[in-house]
Amino acid sequence: MNFLAASIESLGAKVAGWFSVGYGMFAFLAQAGSLLLERATWNRATFDVVVKQVYFTAVQILHVFLGYALVISWLIISIILSTARDFGLTEFASEMTIRVLVLELLPFLTALFIALRSGSAINTEVALMQVNNELDALAHCKVPPMQFEFLPRLIGGVISVVTLASLAGLLALLMGYLAIYGMNTAGFAPFTQTIAKIFDFKIMAGLLAKCALFGLAVTLIPVTAGLETPKKLFMVPVSVLRGMMRVFFAIVAIEVVSLALKYV
Amino acid sequence: MNKLHFKVGLFAAASLLLAGAFVVYLLHARGFFEDTFHLQLAASSADGVAPGVPIVFSGIEIGRVTALGLNDDGGIVIHAEFLGRNAKWLKQDSTFTLDKPLVGGARIRVDSPDLGAPALPDHSTMLLLTSDISKEIPLLVERVKAILANVEHLTRKDGEINATLANVKTVTGRMTGEYGVLEGVLGSPEKARAVTDSLDKTRALIGKLDSLALKVDGMAGKTDQWLFAPDGVAEHTRESLAQVRLMLNDAQSSLKQADALMTNAVAISANLKDGTQDIARLRAEIDDAVRKANALVNEINRKWPFARDPEVKLP
Repeated sequence: MNFLAASIESLGAKVAGWFSVGYGMFAFLAQAGSLLLERATWNRATFDVVVKQVYFTAVQILHVFLGYALVISWLIISIILSTARDFGLTEFASEMTIRVLVLELLPFLTALFIALRSGSAINTEVALMQVNNELDALAHCKVPPMQFEFLPRLIGGVISVVTLASLAGLLALLMGYLAIYGMNTAGFAPFTQTIAKIFDFKIMAGLLAKCALFGLAVTLIPVTAGLETPKKLFMVPVSVLRGMMRVFFAIVAIEVVSLALKYV
Repeated sequence: MNKLHFKVGLFAAASLLLAGAFVVYLLHARGFFEDTFHLQLAASSADGVAPGVPIVFSGIEIGRVTALGLNDDGGIVIHAEFLGRNAKWLKQDSTFTLDKPLVGGARIRVDSPDLGAPALPDHSTMLLLTSDISKEIPLLVERVKAILANVEHLTRKDGEINATLANVKTVTGRMTGEYGVLEGVLGSPEKARAVTDSLDKTRALIGKLDSLALKVDGMAGKTDQWLFAPDGVAEHTRESLAQVRLMLNDAQSSLKQADALMTNAVAISANLKDGTQDIARLRAEIDDAVRKANALVNEINRKWPFARDPEVKLP
């Protein structure tokens, strides 16, 4: 009986924990959003931090990221094309390529890329600041951390993921055209027709929203996970671990929901 | 100059430019900058047609079905839209066919046999034909079943085809024998040999009859001399001459019969059915002809004293 009660209690504690984490995250997001509406937020200092964040998240890794997108796009396009040829379904190959790569795989991989590189860094940095009481010190010096530390990171993350995913998508479109029709303009009309068929307003808005949500997930979750860190140095790795797990689940959840909305 | 800001600025500008270019391209692709061409298709059934079904020309999509509904008379009206640049493929003699392939979705196929024909005006109504493969399949299966049943009946264990094949095997087996096709037709080497023997004999007989005819010719010449000679043989032989004419007639008919027999012998090799009966008749008639020729020679010999060898021998 005791065992049952204990297990129920631990389950309840877990659920309560999830709720408090979720609540903390959304409260933080609401706070950041309300701050975005305030005129005082739009100052030069905040803008500079946003620019810096975009630089470190997107510009610094652009060549690596585009190379990686190129390789993965080329591989997947080749696989889809050869499979489509084997089954005699070449006419669907271009549509399939665009749907798989541009709409699903590349945004997802971009989010994972940013999460692993910048998300983990943000999580560690915020956790260390929390442990070392730097955040309190900043607030004491009338430098609200929300405005100068967290909000620029969220904005930078969203901008970076949206931009990188778009660039990778455009690259994949180019690669797809070259792989299917070769170095000539003969296939331009049918390719345009396919693109027109796929990218209607709903799909474009959905893609943009998905990328923005990815960008938010890979910055918001590490920030809140870092803020939750108890003020003990050895808890920093644990905080990063938890944060990264949550980021992963959030990315998968966003992808699954977007797929369900699109095809179910 | 802040290098970091410059890089981010460059990145942002390039991305915005690319994004803007893509949006413009997308708007162009979706026909934002051109007129839309509308078409109504009248169909007997909207089975398989739904908004979004592509309309293809030569395998390339040029338009889509946007809506479908019923008109006042209960007919199906399918509304389709084309981009202005694709409307040139639609002519007044174009045909619209609803294709429902076994694999893949339904599509409406446009065929414009004459691209020089006048263009179709906007908002015009055309007839939609249906070519539904899946509906034809049950009929096809029924027919194939019937054919297969027939084939099965023909190829059963004691069936006609098996028996025929066995016969063919026997005949072709015989054909590989010494007397070739003739043996195959007649059934055994003995019969085939009889035919070839008869043919050889007939040939020899014809040769002899030929020389006989020459002799008779010569005799006729001599008879002529005798007739008009002054020693009165003509009177003496007038009766005999009439008899000789009769005999000659007889000889001629015998030769004709031999000729017919030759034709018959040739026909034997082509006619399987009559072959075997005719062999016996052939032999009998050849013998008969030889006998008659012999009698003729004997008769002539009797009337004329100068004949030497009175007998025609069968070779």
